[in-house]
Amino acid sequence: MQFTLDEDRALLQRSTRELLEKEGALETSRRVMEETPEGFSRSLHAQLGELGYLGVLLPEREGGLGAIAFAVVLHEMGRVALPGPFLEVALAVRLLAGCDGDAAKRWRAKTAAGEALVVIARSESLASADPAAVEATCRGGRLRGTKHFVPFGAQADALLIETREGIALVERAAAGWDATPLPTLDPAQRFAEIRLDGPPTLVAEGERAADLLAENERLGALGAAALLLGLMERSLETAVGYLQERQAFGAPIASFQALQHRAADCVLQTESTRSAVYRAAAAEEQGGADPALLAAVAKAWAGPAARLVCGEAIQLHGGVGFTWEYDPHLYLKRAKTLELFYGSTRSQLERVLRAKLAS
Amino acid sequence: MDLRFTPEQERFRSEVRAWIGANLARPWSQEVREPGHDADSLVEVRRAWQKKLHAAGYLGMGWPPEWGGRGASAVEEAILHEELYRADAPQVPNFLGLSLLAPALIHHGSEAQRRRFIPKMLDGSEIWCQGFSEPGAGSDLASLRTRATPDGDDFRIHGQKVWTTFGPWADWIFVLARTDPDDRYGGISFFLVPIHQPGVEMRGIRQITGETEFGEVFFDGALAKREHLVGQLGEGWKIAMTVLGYERGASALQYPAENDRFLAALVAGLGEEGALAREDVREKLGRLFVENEVMRGNGLRVLATLEAGQAPGPESSIEKIFWSEYAKRLQDTAQELLGPRAQLDARSPRARPDADWAYQYLWSRAGTIYSGSSEVQRNIIAKRVLRLPTR
Repeated sequence: MQFTLDEDRALLQRSTRELLEKEGALETSRRVMEETPEGFSRSLHAQLGELGYLGVLLPEREGGLGAIAFAVVLHEMGRVALPGPFLEVALAVRLLAGCDGDAAKRWRAKTAAGEALVVIARSESLASADPAAVEATCRGGRLRGTKHFVPFGAQADALLIETREGIALVERAAAGWDATPLPTLDPAQRFAEIRLDGPPTLVAEGERAADLLAENERLGALGAAALLLGLMERSLETAVGYLQERQAFGAPIASFQALQHRAADCVLQTESTRSAVYRAAAAEEQGGADPALLAAVAKAWAGPAARLVCGEAIQLHGGVGFTWEYDPHLYLKRAKTLELFYGSTRSQLERVLRAKLAS
Repeated sequence: MDLRFTPEQERFRSEVRAWIGANLARPWSQEVREPGHDADSLVEVRRAWQKKLHAAGYLGMGWPPEWGGRGASAVEEAILHEELYRADAPQVPNFLGLSLLAPALIHHGSEAQRRRFIPKMLDGSEIWCQGFSEPGAGSDLASLRTRATPDGDDFRIHGQKVWTTFGPWADWIFVLARTDPDDRYGGISFFLVPIHQPGVEMRGIRQITGETEFGEVFFDGALAKREHLVGQLGEGWKIAMTVLGYERGASALQYPAENDRFLAALVAGLGEEGALAREDVREKLGRLFVENEVMRGNGLRVLATLEAGQAPGPESSIEKIFWSEYAKRLQDTAQELLGPRAQLDARSPRARPDADWAYQYLWSRAGTIYSGSSEVQRNIIAKRVLRLPTR
């Protein structure tokens, strides 16, 4: 048994942290989020493609790095609350790798290289982003339907759409689509409502499509949980730093037990998330335990945990924690959005319960 | 990153599971309902179970071979405890002696002390209780005031200890007593004291469960022989703190295993009531399953840390808060969802047969207090993990 990262992945963690400190620092991200309509840095995205990050979930012989590396990278991205479609693209690349045909192959290569943006569109409800029966159809050479909360859907070059007939690839250049931006409380995430009526390419059908979507849910939950881990880890570090700096009643407020106990609870939440995320990643990569169950456990735990820790970070900062200038709100916003996507807490609890009742 | 058990560890698990299957007459939750049992006869059931475990080589597995151990790893000990909790086996009456005193003797005691005390501790012929806490020294243990004063070569003990689990059945007590009033930590020494002697009075304390498993001990000039001082004078605090550290590891997987049992019983009960389709029930159950699985992940991480030869840092305080606070949530939820039937006395013919919910509900209130309350654990995290200053 071992809970530390091996040499390769420890190196990946260090180099990712260095890269993000340089290119994805929060100061830069704030500017990108506020000043560009896309909400993320195209140049950093291209760089992530060049460096092989976007293909992290590909099979090893095609440049993939495995589930533990996937968790390590997202954990680091969470620490800097990185805006942009990294998780979305890594999942789309993985899904494309399981699809048939030349179009899927072509888009996979371009997307993994960071030269094109492909994301997955599934949800058709404004009230839930959880997997559900879909209405979108792919008949007679036309795909018709409306998808909600498509991440970076207005910026994408192609979409992978869940339809009744299977997974369809739609290219913007060929089909076009109506995209209505759905700005949320999280400035790091750009959603769109997409109305489709154009020619698709079916890239996976039947059981194959169902398997790919199930895999997508599992890896999405793991990736989101790893992001949440990074968000809460950094939030706690920042809050603890503030407690030590800020003086009141003639002492650093870090010496007050009421605040210490709040911080200690955040440690419990954060460290437990660390155990859950890396346990799920190890099971995904090595087997030995049920990866679908453990990914659901990690996501079901990490959502509320991150909401608590990122919220406490605001509380521990006091008044300045409520200002736009200080960073804690960026973390709470990311955490709050992530909790509802990649399997909402509610849906993951149900998933875990079903698995447990069946065993 | 690898949290899998090795094939040898899995073989060990199968061996333990088969042994328990062949040797455990009935789960503890059923044993306590057997007609004719009282508190004394239940202690004898526990003693007999301890003898069996000892004969099979499952006690003190991590100790050196000359003291009956097999140099087992923390993982194997954790697997043993996981299987024992899974099967709802009785707790051995000497668990405090075995988990705290024996390591103290092995690491800090004399050869004569080891020879005299360890074999009888193992076979259950002498039961030990722990004399650390006092009425005025619980979470703040170092403020203890029980004193040991020289009397010739030996010592006389005066003072009071409290919360001595299994005290009413104990033969011996290991005591932290003050030998220097002016030295907070260095003035504490570690003594082994026979209970059945003049100057020792053991009184049972009735708990909110109605049982009298704890005791309080009054020392009025009780004799502690020089040969029963463990380590040197003034080393008591150091010894106590190191042995409290040995509690770690073995318990890493036992609570999730115990919770699995409770959850299965809860699911069975709710199934019979036709309540499993209710959305509020499903959400609460799902949350309990998730949290228990997260706890198991934390436990596996503790074991991995120990296997890497490192002492667990924040993990043990987190583990303590997690399992004890979880137990309260689990029992609260069981009461809420199962309704009044879960409040029935276990001996009632209408009580659910698979878990003693009424008792467990009350018992769950203890875990967040003993062995360092949740508040003390938070202090430890704040101080040792976050390095926050104290006032």
